[in-house]
Amino acid sequence: MPSSISSSDMPGSSVEPVFERPLPVLGRSAWLALVIAIVLMIAFEAWVRSEGVTPSYRNSEGFWAEQRRRINGDAGNGWVFTGSSRTMFNMQLAVWERLDGRRPLQLALEGTSPVSVLEGLADDENFTGKVIVGVAPGLFFSGYEYRRPAIDRYQKESPTQWFGHRVSMLVEPYLAFYSYDFAFPVMLRRQPLPLRKGVELNLDVRKLNNMERDRNTRMWDKVANDIEYRDLARSIWAQNWMPLAKLPEPVQERILESRSKQLDRAVSATKKIQAKGAEVIFVQMPYEGHYATSEIDIAPRELTWDKLIEQTGALGLHFKDHEEMQGYWLPEWSHMTGSEADRFTAAFYGLVQRKLTAREATGGKQ
Amino acid sequence: MLFNSLTFVIFFVIILALHYAPFSWRVKKSNLLIGSYIFYAAWNPPFVILLWLSTVVDWVVANKLHIEKRLARRRMLLLISMVVNLGMLGYFKYGGFMLENFQVLMSTLGFDYQPPDWNIILPVGISFYTFQTMAYSLDVYLKRAAPAKSFLDFALFVTFFPQLVAGPIVRPTQLIPQFKLPTVATRQQLTWGFALITLGLFNKIVVADGLLSKAAEKVFDAREMLHPVDAWLGTLAFSGQIFCDFAGYSTTAIGVALCLGFSLPDNFRFPYAAIGFSDFWRRWHISLSSWLRDYLYIPLGGNRKGNLRTYANLMTTMMLGGLWHGASWTFVVWGGLHGSFLALERWLAARFGQVTFWKRWGPRLLLALVTYFLVNITWVFFRAPDFATAWRLIDTMLTLNMDGKKVLPMIDVLQVLGVTITMLVVHWFMRNRYLHEVAVALPRWLLATTWGLMLWLIIITQGQSNAFIYFQF
Repeated sequence: MPSSISSSDMPGSSVEPVFERPLPVLGRSAWLALVIAIVLMIAFEAWVRSEGVTPSYRNSEGFWAEQRRRINGDAGNGWVFTGSSRTMFNMQLAVWERLDGRRPLQLALEGTSPVSVLEGLADDENFTGKVIVGVAPGLFFSGYEYRRPAIDRYQKESPTQWFGHRVSMLVEPYLAFYSYDFAFPVMLRRQPLPLRKGVELNLDVRKLNNMERDRNTRMWDKVANDIEYRDLARSIWAQNWMPLAKLPEPVQERILESRSKQLDRAVSATKKIQAKGAEVIFVQMPYEGHYATSEIDIAPRELTWDKLIEQTGALGLHFKDHEEMQGYWLPEWSHMTGSEADRFTAAFYGLVQRKLTAREATGGKQ
Repeated sequence: MLFNSLTFVIFFVIILALHYAPFSWRVKKSNLLIGSYIFYAAWNPPFVILLWLSTVVDWVVANKLHIEKRLARRRMLLLISMVVNLGMLGYFKYGGFMLENFQVLMSTLGFDYQPPDWNIILPVGISFYTFQTMAYSLDVYLKRAAPAKSFLDFALFVTFFPQLVAGPIVRPTQLIPQFKLPTVATRQQLTWGFALITLGLFNKIVVADGLLSKAAEKVFDAREMLHPVDAWLGTLAFSGQIFCDFAGYSTTAIGVALCLGFSLPDNFRFPYAAIGFSDFWRRWHISLSSWLRDYLYIPLGGNRKGNLRTYANLMTTMMLGGLWHGASWTFVVWGGLHGSFLALERWLAARFGQVTFWKRWGPRLLLALVTYFLVNITWVFFRAPDFATAWRLIDTMLTLNMDGKKVLPMIDVLQVLGVTITMLVVHWFMRNRYLHEVAVALPRWLLATTWGLMLWLIIITQGQSNAFIYFQF
């Protein structure tokens, strides 16, 4: 409380007059400051570019929301890709467009189970097309949603957020430093400091890709070409992993519970989409290295994938079942380089078409 | 619209261009009013209706109060203003809280009452503008001020975008007179305005969000007993975060207004150098503490009705002040602790205040550190999502039980310690100084380099920033 309390003010004595703000004479300091800031910006941009970074669109919440809104416009009856990062990296929109005649919508979100997106499509009467759902078992059946805010943003985007995104999109393709990895706090966090005893090491995922104007994603060249950087990416994927059986019992129980919950949610959303005549295709993209152990451990195929395909009656394409989905280079175990993704998309498109035709011929059975 | 957004940059450029264009003063004020509504509607357009309601009701009430002589009618008019303003606040902010507590009460009495879902979105900054408009009607009722002569001036006072959603809570007598005569900023005002905007955004974007928020989040989101070092660092992180966030907003708001030629009062004066709690409240959220003093504490009797009543008034004022921040008992406890410390300080000052020992430099520094320590204890209740978390943190912070979990990596330890030590040194150095004096005293090259560096850091912290903490209050 201000001291005037102790002097026991009387009502009527507390009229606050207009405050005259004292002003310093700063001379040309403002201009000099502006010059310093501009010089620093130019130097910083040059340094970021020298690290091999090229300007690219930010994988922002507003960007996802913008693309999701296209369902309500011209894209509602076309192809939609959703899933997690594997779908983002491996499915190339330009290749698909060349083969199909129509450019699909990329709605995959890295580190995020696509079940909520699928539910959104099921409830959206504007969606009547075909959706390819990438199933990364560890994510899909856990329900983990690292990018949940993007889905929330689509549902609740305020006018100021919408406008801010539009303005940001104007500058993103010209500034290399305007990337998550080169934000000041992120760079500070990545300094090699001694570990604090007793604290779990938890490195965050580094820049792996560049994004185009419609969220088409290409792996960043550095991941493919720089061995040290690739090893770092691999070590991040494998950090702090423990087999399911070695996790504390309550954690194991939680994982099993969410497995069945996610399965139920996915089945229900798929049936809803199928009921309106739209098509759902589930796909497990290739993985190797650490994922060859961890994916099977956390979500054994017969208890997850097989049940999903059986209960939904949807078309399911697992990379282990189809030659067209095998033999690609995965620099950090689960994402393809741009050229490999082009090759994969073309082969996968052919596979999907063949399977859909065969399915039609057999009256909906795989 | 957030100050720390690209949308605001575009908005502010347009507002400045319109304000410096050769329009009449009335047109310029209308531009500012429309701009302010757009600023507010950018979050959620329908909530502008609340602003209009508050504006119209207090305009009509104050005009009638001014000419009405009969006490009963005057009281009735004031009641209308209070019911409308506090009613809005109660419905949107405290409705769910009251239902929740009613349910607990009923359950204690053995009744099974299931309250309806209270999924109401809280309009941004409602606590700020309702207090501002209430002050207007109260001032006219108490005959401290005459009502505004122009509806446009009054509407702009209620809605003026720089301070609309998070203060400073400006009194009618501070702002309405500034709308009377044509005002554009002088070159000095414009330069200093931009300097303040830079400083405010630096505090918010770089320090609060970039350097401190993660550590505070990790500690206050933890569900297990933490190591005392982590509990303390998390609390210090929040202590710095809330200051840099809120003072950052106020400084930006003051700078934005100054660029338009308007002068808003200070809201913070280096509070972590406070010696005692009455000093702290002269330095922290000054516009709220003076509002509570003038419209709550003094009407309750202030210190005019004996010691016991004074302590009771202090506690009531501070607990309600706590509740103003949020609909949760943790905020009430935060306010209650501040009330208790103020009461204790008053009691101690009456007995030992004249002892010369406490007037020396060393003991004063010690008192400042004790104040900072206690302020940090209160922040635990302010930030903790529930009492269980608050008690767990207080427990480990005070008992220094070393068995708890460590959650903060080395980078957080360094960032929190670095910012905290720097902040305390700066606050202590600035305790009896003013920013404009220091800016003038600095060599020009140093001032420009610091300013340029801050600008650069704001830009390269880029899209990592969050909404201001005080928007939720």
